[in-house]
Amino acid sequence: MESAQREPHDSVFLELTRSICPVCRRDVEAEVVARGGGVYLRKRCADHGAFEALVYGDAERYVEIQRYNKPGDRPLRLQTEVVDGCPWDCGICPEHKQHTCLGIIEVNTACNLDCPICFAESGTGHQPDGYSLSLEQVEAMLDAFVEAEGEPEAIQLSGGEPSIHPQIVDMLAAAKARGLKLVMLNTNGIRLARDPRFAPALAEIGVHVYLQFDGFRDSTHLAIRGRRLQEEKRRALDRCAWAGVGVSLAAAVERGINDDEVGAIVAFGVAHPAVTGVFFQPVTHSGRFLDFDPRGRLTNSDVIDAIAKQLPHWFRRDDFVPVPCCSPTCRSATYALYDGDDLVPLPRFVDVDDYLDYVTTRAVPDLEIRTALEGLFSASAAGGTERTGERLECVACGVGLPEELQEVAAKGFMVVVQDFQDPYTLDVRKLRKCCVAEIVPDGRLIPFCAYNSVGYREQVRAQLSAAAGNGAA
Amino acid sequence: MSEAPSLEGLLGAELACCASPYDSAAVRWLLGGELHPGGDALTRRLAHVAGVRPGWRVLDVASGRGPTARLLAAELGAEVTGVDQSPQSVVAARADADAAGLAQPVRFVQGSAGALPVTSGAFDAVVCECSLCLFPGKRQAIAEMRRALRPRGVVAIADVTAELDDLPASLRGAAARVACIGEALSRDGYRELLRDAGFELVAAESHDGALAALAERVEARLRVAGMLQPADGFAELIAEATDLAREARRAIVRGSLGYALFIARRP
Repeated sequence: MESAQREPHDSVFLELTRSICPVCRRDVEAEVVARGGGVYLRKRCADHGAFEALVYGDAERYVEIQRYNKPGDRPLRLQTEVVDGCPWDCGICPEHKQHTCLGIIEVNTACNLDCPICFAESGTGHQPDGYSLSLEQVEAMLDAFVEAEGEPEAIQLSGGEPSIHPQIVDMLAAAKARGLKLVMLNTNGIRLARDPRFAPALAEIGVHVYLQFDGFRDSTHLAIRGRRLQEEKRRALDRCAWAGVGVSLAAAVERGINDDEVGAIVAFGVAHPAVTGVFFQPVTHSGRFLDFDPRGRLTNSDVIDAIAKQLPHWFRRDDFVPVPCCSPTCRSATYALYDGDDLVPLPRFVDVDDYLDYVTTRAVPDLEIRTALEGLFSASAAGGTERTGERLECVACGVGLPEELQEVAAKGFMVVVQDFQDPYTLDVRKLRKCCVAEIVPDGRLIPFCAYNSVGYREQVRAQLSAAAGNGAA
Repeated sequence: MSEAPSLEGLLGAELACCASPYDSAAVRWLLGGELHPGGDALTRRLAHVAGVRPGWRVLDVASGRGPTARLLAAELGAEVTGVDQSPQSVVAARADADAAGLAQPVRFVQGSAGALPVTSGAFDAVVCECSLCLFPGKRQAIAEMRRALRPRGVVAIADVTAELDDLPASLRGAAARVACIGEALSRDGYRELLRDAGFELVAAESHDGALAALAERVEARLRVAGMLQPADGFAELIAEATDLAREARRAIVRGSLGYALFIARRP
């Protein structure tokens, strides 16, 4: 008699979580599974069928880095109550597991570009709706942030294109006046390139520029920004260098478009006097995006592998440390000391594992070093800032580097890889620990990936557009 | 740099052996607190394979400032006697144990590995981490360890292994000045040494990765040091030491340098 054979599943079932249907956005149950070395989020909507998206390209590392999950802090003040459950009560509601390391205020929806990729659906005027916040509104939002955080560390003014807002300098100054250590302007650099007074104005306030910078090739610029912007970027950077403004390059990375340029972007940044770090963001498939296959999307581990492959003399995969304040699979970062041709990543001479393992209950060698490392490997950090310099010096001193070397250490170059979630990849387990929040005019702090994926962006935009007398017909 | 490191110091650090002979500021920053390959994790492994149990009387030969002795007492409940030939190390080790609240289970005495100041048969285990390679009189030291052990007691050794004939000239040149490689034995050499002393080998484990990791950290720190604009002759010294660290890492990959644990039992 022939016995029936049991069929094995095609994947390892790792976690059960909740997500949304990317079409109708209703709540759905989701499975996180490992298959073929990658980690996928699988879900099914009763009306729209099954969806599967790659969430981490390296399953082994996904499992291994969970121990970097730091217990979060409760914010001083919550803005909402639990009514409908996650992710419908943002934010921040009592179920959230972390305070806000980085606040984002989108001061407008207007832009001087019409990029084919834009999670914020901004543009030069073809949208019927839109808004522009007043200085008073931004000040009230900053106050709400201070109320929730006590001493908030980092804020980014974004848009739209915030540099074209007529009161942007006053808004940045208002943030600085509230004691925020890191005040960033997220910009495409066009105003910096064209207006010679802008970089000096930012320098006077002490603003750090977060400059979109996706690569060097024409094809990269055309695919992601719709225009060749190399000359504008170059001029914007040179003006920042001249004025003494620190810049982090922010690259949107898409598979098959510019994932082969990540090494060149880091090398360019290291060589440029204004640039103190690079942030890589795999393109989020929220708002406007190019055709894509969610199963073949880029994830943090893919970008890290690409950096290591393209700059083998500088980086290895394990130089990138999972950032413990958020979910450790959301963000990884490293710092590197450099001079001339040589570059040494910080984890090569400090055993970061000894300090940032929160699951194994072993003794931490030095709590002061742990605190400094937590500050460095945080969503509130950027390269080249005073705080980062102090923390790098603290680590360098704590591990016994002599004084002169501490000064070298303080000039560490930061490389960050940050995968934001979209309606395909949204996992409420990660969302609940999110520490990057959109601050909205009614004072709510809405986790960034919820804002972009769940429908909050559309709600806020509709309300503000209506208030401004602009609306979709 | 307040104190210019000597080439010997840098070379010793590059192989990352025990701290006491290379107790200079330069070596301390190169090693970054980890005084032997594998750090505490490998000390735990050594104790685990040796089967150290609560209440065991353990002798730590070449105990330095006592990190191994403190770990064995604090984590495994052993009663540890540390022996070190440097009176300064003994004083410092006592102070550290005191500060850690371990003055009771841990004591330190000054003495030589060739004539251990301990009663025969008084110990359940003897540990010797990253130090045997430094002893010129290895046979005498092993005989002394055996004398200190009770019948069926265990000796647990962690050390650098070197296939001297396979090492490149640059490392053998360095070896002439650095006892750490110069006096290290091959894997078979340690086995023979134990067997000849009447021990029965219970376990041997390779931990070359731990040595490679430490050599890499030292190399990274040397490269960082090279980023300063160092004064006269210092830049060349750093460059030379960096090359040697790279050479050592290649030798580890080839298998001519390594790190191993040997656990043996006396009859």
